[in-house]
Order: sequence, then structure tokens, then C-alpha cells
Amino acid sequence: MAVQPEVKKKSFLQTILDAADDVFTRVTAGISAGEVRRMLRGEPPGRPNPRLKPHSEAFLLHIKPTYYHESVTRFTHTFRLGLLSTYLFFVETITGLILMIWYAPTPERAYTDMIRLLSNVPLGQLMRDMHRLGAELMVVVVTLHMVRTYLTGSYKAPRQFTWFTGVLLLVLTLFLSFSGYLLPWDQLAYWAVTIGTSMAEAVPPPIVGETVNLLARGAPDIGANGLMRFYLLHVLFLPLALFLFFFVHYYKVVHFGISLPSDEEEVGQDTANKVPADRRVYFLPDVLIDESALLIAFTALMVLVSTFFFAAPLESIANPQSTPLHTVAPWYFYWLQGLLKIADKTIAGVYVPGILLVLLMAIPYLDRNPSRRGRDRRVAIISGVVAGIVIIVLSWMGTPYYAVQGAPAVEIVQELMPEEGMGPLREMGYAHLPLGAYDSRENATTEDEEFNVVLHEFNESIKAFAEKDPSFNEAYGVLTISQEQPQLKRITWDINWLSPDGKDEAFKRIFFLHENALYWEQYAVKDFSFLRNEQPAAGE
Amino acid sequence: MKRPWYRFLYVRSALAKLGLALLAVLGTIGILLFVLFIETPRMEAQTKNFEGRSIQNGAAVYANNCSSCHGLDGKGLQGVAPALHSRYFFEQRLKDLEYTGSLHDYVKLTVAAGRPMNKQSQWAQMMPTWSSRYGGPLRDDQVEDVTSFVLNWREDAALQTAETDPWQPFQNAPMTDIYTGQQVETAPAAEVSSEPRPPQQLFMVDMGCVGCHNIDQPQTETNKGAIGPNLGNLYETAGTKVPGEDAATFVHNSIIEPNKYVEPGYNPVMPANFADRMSPEEIDSLVQWILDPNRQK
Repeated sequence: MAVQPEVKKKSFLQTILDAADDVFTRVTAGISAGEVRRMLRGEPPGRPNPRLKPHSEAFLLHIKPTYYHESVTRFTHTFRLGLLSTYLFFVETITGLILMIWYAPTPERAYTDMIRLLSNVPLGQLMRDMHRLGAELMVVVVTLHMVRTYLTGSYKAPRQFTWFTGVLLLVLTLFLSFSGYLLPWDQLAYWAVTIGTSMAEAVPPPIVGETVNLLARGAPDIGANGLMRFYLLHVLFLPLALFLFFFVHYYKVVHFGISLPSDEEEVGQDTANKVPADRRVYFLPDVLIDESALLIAFTALMVLVSTFFFAAPLESIANPQSTPLHTVAPWYFYWLQGLLKIADKTIAGVYVPGILLVLLMAIPYLDRNPSRRGRDRRVAIISGVVAGIVIIVLSWMGTPYYAVQGAPAVEIVQELMPEEGMGPLREMGYAHLPLGAYDSRENATTEDEEFNVVLHEFNESIKAFAEKDPSFNEAYGVLTISQEQPQLKRITWDINWLSPDGKDEAFKRIFFLHENALYWEQYAVKDFSFLRNEQPAAGE
Repeated sequence: MKRPWYRFLYVRSALAKLGLALLAVLGTIGILLFVLFIETPRMEAQTKNFEGRSIQNGAAVYANNCSSCHGLDGKGLQGVAPALHSRYFFEQRLKDLEYTGSLHDYVKLTVAAGRPMNKQSQWAQMMPTWSSRYGGPLRDDQVEDVTSFVLNWREDAALQTAETDPWQPFQNAPMTDIYTGQQVETAPAAEVSSEPRPPQQLFMVDMGCVGCHNIDQPQTETNKGAIGPNLGNLYETAGTKVPGEDAATFVHNSIIEPNKYVEPGYNPVMPANFADRMSPEEIDSLVQWILDPNRQK
């Protein structure tokens, strides 16, 4: 007679609890609810460590090390900048996919789609602002990540190739950010990218440069083809390339371990992968909690900033026939623009950046100093700091403040009412523009205090230019505000002066301003005044 | 190891870290709720913003391209182009034409494709094609912008009365006077004036010559008037155009019978009715004024 095993008696409640625990353990890829409770209480794992199981069970965790050296988990050692870069790429992918829903890369539609996104898509502006903010932050974070690696000497053996792929990732990040620049199809985008691609033209010999330029633009000038090419670069080719090199980079990081602070090991040693048992910090739960808390806080900060302090710019629609005054590259290419102002296009736009890039990639192979300690690396650290200062100075030279002053009359108007963007006059808005003609010789004042400030600036600016510019004599200006149509004012800037040989010269610029027109700055507290006035009171 | 000064920032407990993360999540949700809450007024403000910007851009397009014929304030020029800033235009024009589309479409189509078949009318020239789709200089967005600008006169035009409405009867189209309800005589009423008008007024205002002819610029190989030849150096060249006609005769004939001699490179679009609209003395004074190199403006 077969022996019947004793049927286990289990209560109904226990059955439910066991089933729930089973589901929980499957979801967490091997960690039971009890183990989670022990983790949160800060209790040490049992032996064998049950907290290692998810690293072999779960795809997403198998690329993460199971434990780190205590010293590298300190925030101030790495600032977790690599993690942040990766996360920002993730944020860009998500927000970018959402933006793609409302976007078609053709000159007929791209700009209209931006308007539609801003005025007709709930959360559309937030998504656009987040995407733009994320892109700029990604450039910042990736650069800081490189600076940190340089200062701690972490690029030294055996991590030379990790650095090399890191530089590639920096270049890809810059290109990714820049290729997205064209997509809104506004004046800012169009002319920044026209300048950018024209540098490719300077690649010698001419046949190569012209071909590269033609391939990038799709035609002698950027048009439908160029927009499509930049779109595909931005949404497909560059992200894929970045994805690939990210994994190469990350594999190397995990493979060699994060380098220890230099004073914790002997010069020439690398003990990152030989972590003594008492100095191990396990990924589960400690590092996971640190990393997720950091990323959540970072996301909250990004949402906060893009809601209140950051607005992606949108200038008027791209116009190949008119270059706006003071066209600038994106700020992370100011240094290149600065270089282009002081040197020939081929030298500053091709040779210097090319040599810099090769040097940057070759740093670990050129630097034969085995020590990662700051006091042994004076030359390296000082030259790094000098390079940083040079980049900052060049960036300043890239801004319109350096060496691109136009004629005085042009600059005076540009300062108060730029061709693109806001400027003080548009910031005041339609309601603060009393009709009339205001002559700078009469120092006229009106009842509107805000308008008086702009009027005063206009007068002072004319005086200042008249004093310092010898070709701008006995200058005076007339600002005329007239009503062009209901809700539309015409703003006429007239500036008259005498040239050095006593001839009358005049400059005239006409703008229109509509009552409902809104302008905004990229980095500024956002204007929520539309919440106050349902229907703004008429200015007069 | 040295303890850094910023160690007060350290968060050591896992629960505290998770608590802070939870706070951040709640804060983010709070901000997102705020954003959602203001989304409707924000989108309305942006919609109005871009409508306003469209009118703004249209104003610049109008000032550069349209104002020379339709007038700086859109009230048209006698004999050159009809008024747009006119109550008749907004309220009656489409009914008279039995056009069933919207005024927006009417204006936009006219701007885009022009009026290529209006040769018999009293207007100095045909409405040119403006859209780059039909060979003109404006992009689609500019056509749309200038349409918004023209339609923005509606509010102002609605206040016009029979005296202030600048509308002019079309010779080749039925018209209803909205102020009397009467059908308008389509032949132009003779412009009677008790005393001769000065040539400046005739050239600049009444006949609208200035809409097509620039009197200050010389006509040279490199500097040609776009619609009609420049007249700045006509006093030198007028006598050489037609054999047997001296300068005064040539200019006189060109005014009263413009299509007899058309400058090569130009279309025969000059109205042929100036002889009916000016007295012989006025025409003589205009000829004299045009041929005077030291003319007063």
C-alpha cells in the first residue's frame, strides 16, 4: 500500500499570504517582503546574501554591480554625474517622443506645429520647456562629469578607453543638442544652424568641405531637405550612436570599477575591484535608495525650474532672406564663435576644434604620470584650469558684447527693441506705450512711469554713443508711437546725426506691437500675468 | 579621514532618504496640478499671442508691399487700388460679388493669386500674384499674416459713416451703397472741380500716379521702377521716345492715351481714363510739373 504523504493543513489566511509573498518575490526578482522589511530597517543580509538574486534574475539589474567600495559611494567623490547624464538621456527620450507626436519636419509645418504645441496642447509648453532644459542640462552634466574625471585623474590606467568613449559621448551630446536646435524652424534655429554647417564648408580641401556642407544641408541653403536631415540625425542616428557608446562606456565602468579616491591606495595601484568585505556597500538596498532618491529629487527640480524659471525660446519664423542682428550660436558653442572672430574659418572652425578633440581623447595616453594624487599632478591640474579659463574667455568673446558692434543707431534700437526676442520696450507691453512723438532733445516725460524709463534709456544711450563715437555727432532721436489699427501700435525709431564731414544721416526702424503679443526670456521668472487679467484694460 | 565642513548635509538614514524622495514626488505632483490648473488660460493667452503676432507681422508685410497702392491706412488710392479699410468692403463687397466663402478666404485668395484678369477696370494695374506658390515673393505664413492684418480693420471700419467710408465705385462690378441701399452707377462720376487742382495734388493724391511711378528716382538700366518707369530723369529722355514728339507732347500723349506707347519691359496697365478725369489745363500743368527738373513737391 502506497504511503500517502500527510496532507499539510494550512489556514485560508496563510494561503493568501503565501500567495501574496510569492507574487511579491516574483515582481522583485527574488526578494521577499520580509527581506524588504529587513532592508528598510538597515539590518544586514543573511548568508548567502539573498539580496544578490535580482542581479542575476532581472535584466535591468544584471548590468549593475552587486556592491561598491564604500569610498566611491560618497556623493562628493563622483557627484553621481554619470548617472545623471544617463538619466537626462532618458528624460530627453521620453519628452522628445511626446513632442514628436505634434511635430512634422517640413518648413511649411514645423513652426506652425510649435505654435500649436504652445497654444493648443495641454502640457505642451511644459514638455517643450523640459526637453530644452534637459538638453542644456545634459551638456552641463556631461561636461562636469568629464571635469570631475580629469581632476581626480580617473582616466589613468586601466581606464584610458573609458575616457576615450566618454569624450565620444560628450561630442555626441553636443551634436544631439545642436541638431535639435533647427527643429522649431525659427530665426534662432535657422541662423545658428546655418553658421554651424558653414563651418563644415571650411574643411579642406574645398571639394570635401563643400560636399560635407551639401550633405548636411541637403541643398546650398537649409530648406526642406536640411530640416529632414537634421530631424533624422536628432531623433534616430545620434541617439542610436549615443546609446551604443553609452553601453561601451558603462561596460568599461563596471568592468574596472569606479576609481577610488587617490589617497586610499598606493600610487600605481588600482584596487577598485578588490573591495574588502567590511567596506562593501551593496547595491540593494543602499545604492538603489541613494540613486533613486537623487533622481527623484532631480526630476522634481527640473519640473520646478521648467514651470517657473525657464522657457524654451521661440523667435519668429525662419526667414532665409533676412539675418537677424547679433546671431549667436547656442551657449555651449560660444567658445567656437569666439575663436571664429579672431581667426580664419578653416583654422578656428576646423583645425583648432579637431586638434583639441584629438588631444582630449588622447589625454590618458599622453599623460604618463602614474599618480592620481593632486599634489603629484600640478602640471596636469594647472593646465586643466588654464584650459577652462581659456574656454570661458573665448565664450565671452563669442557673445555679441565682443567685437561685433554695429552702427550706433542700429545698436541703440537693438538694445531697446531687438529684431528678435523681447527687449525693454516689448517687456513693458502695449498698455505702456502712450501715443505721441518723443524727441530726445526735449527730454519729454509722460504720465506712464515705465515708459519714461525706456524713454530715458533711449536718450542716455544716444548721448553715450554720441560721446564715444566720432562719426556720430549732434545725434538726436525721435520715438513715435502711433495707433496703426485697433489693438495694434506702430513704433517708429528715428535717429538723426551728422557724419564727420557734416552730412545729415538718418536711421529709421519701424516695429508693430499687438496688444496680445507675449514675449519671454529663456532664463527668467515666468510671466503668469495672463491669470490676472481676463481682458486687459485698454491702455488709453 | 578628515570630516568635511558640509557633513551637516549628509542624510544617512535610508528612511530619511525615502522620506525626502516622497516629499519630492508630492512636490512634483503639486507643481503638475498647478500647471494643469492654469493650462486653459495659458493656452488661451498663447492663442491670442500668436494671433496678435500674426497681425504684427502682417502689418510689416503690408507696409512694405501693399501700402503703395492700397494706401498707408488701407483706404485705397483713387484710380490705383480699392479701399480695404472700408465698411463697404467688410459688410457688402462679398454680397455684391455673390461670393459665398468667408471674407478671410476672399482676401487670402486675392493676396495669394492676385487678380490676373482685371484689365478693363479703372485701377492702375492688376493685383499682382503675391504667394510664392504662384510665383510671387511671399511665403504662406506671410500671406496668412497680411490677411489677418487686413481683417483687423473690421472693428474700426464698422464705425465709418457715408462721409468717412473711403470706398470707391468699381467700374466693372455691381455695387450697392450700404448707406442708401441703392445700386451704384458703375460708370465713374466725372470729377468736377471749380478751379484747377495743383499738379502736386494730382500726381500724389487725386490721380494716384505715385502708386506706380517714382518721381524722385531716375529711370536707368540698374534702377527701374517695378510697376511703371521712374520719372526722375524724364525731362532728359522724354523727347527721344517717339520720333516727331517733343518732350511735352510725349508726356501729354502718354497721359491721355497711355497704351499708344508702352515702355519696353512694362505691361499696358496704365488706366486710359485720365483725359476724362482732369481738365485740359490740369493736364498741361501736370505735364509741365513732371518735366520740370526743379519741381516743388
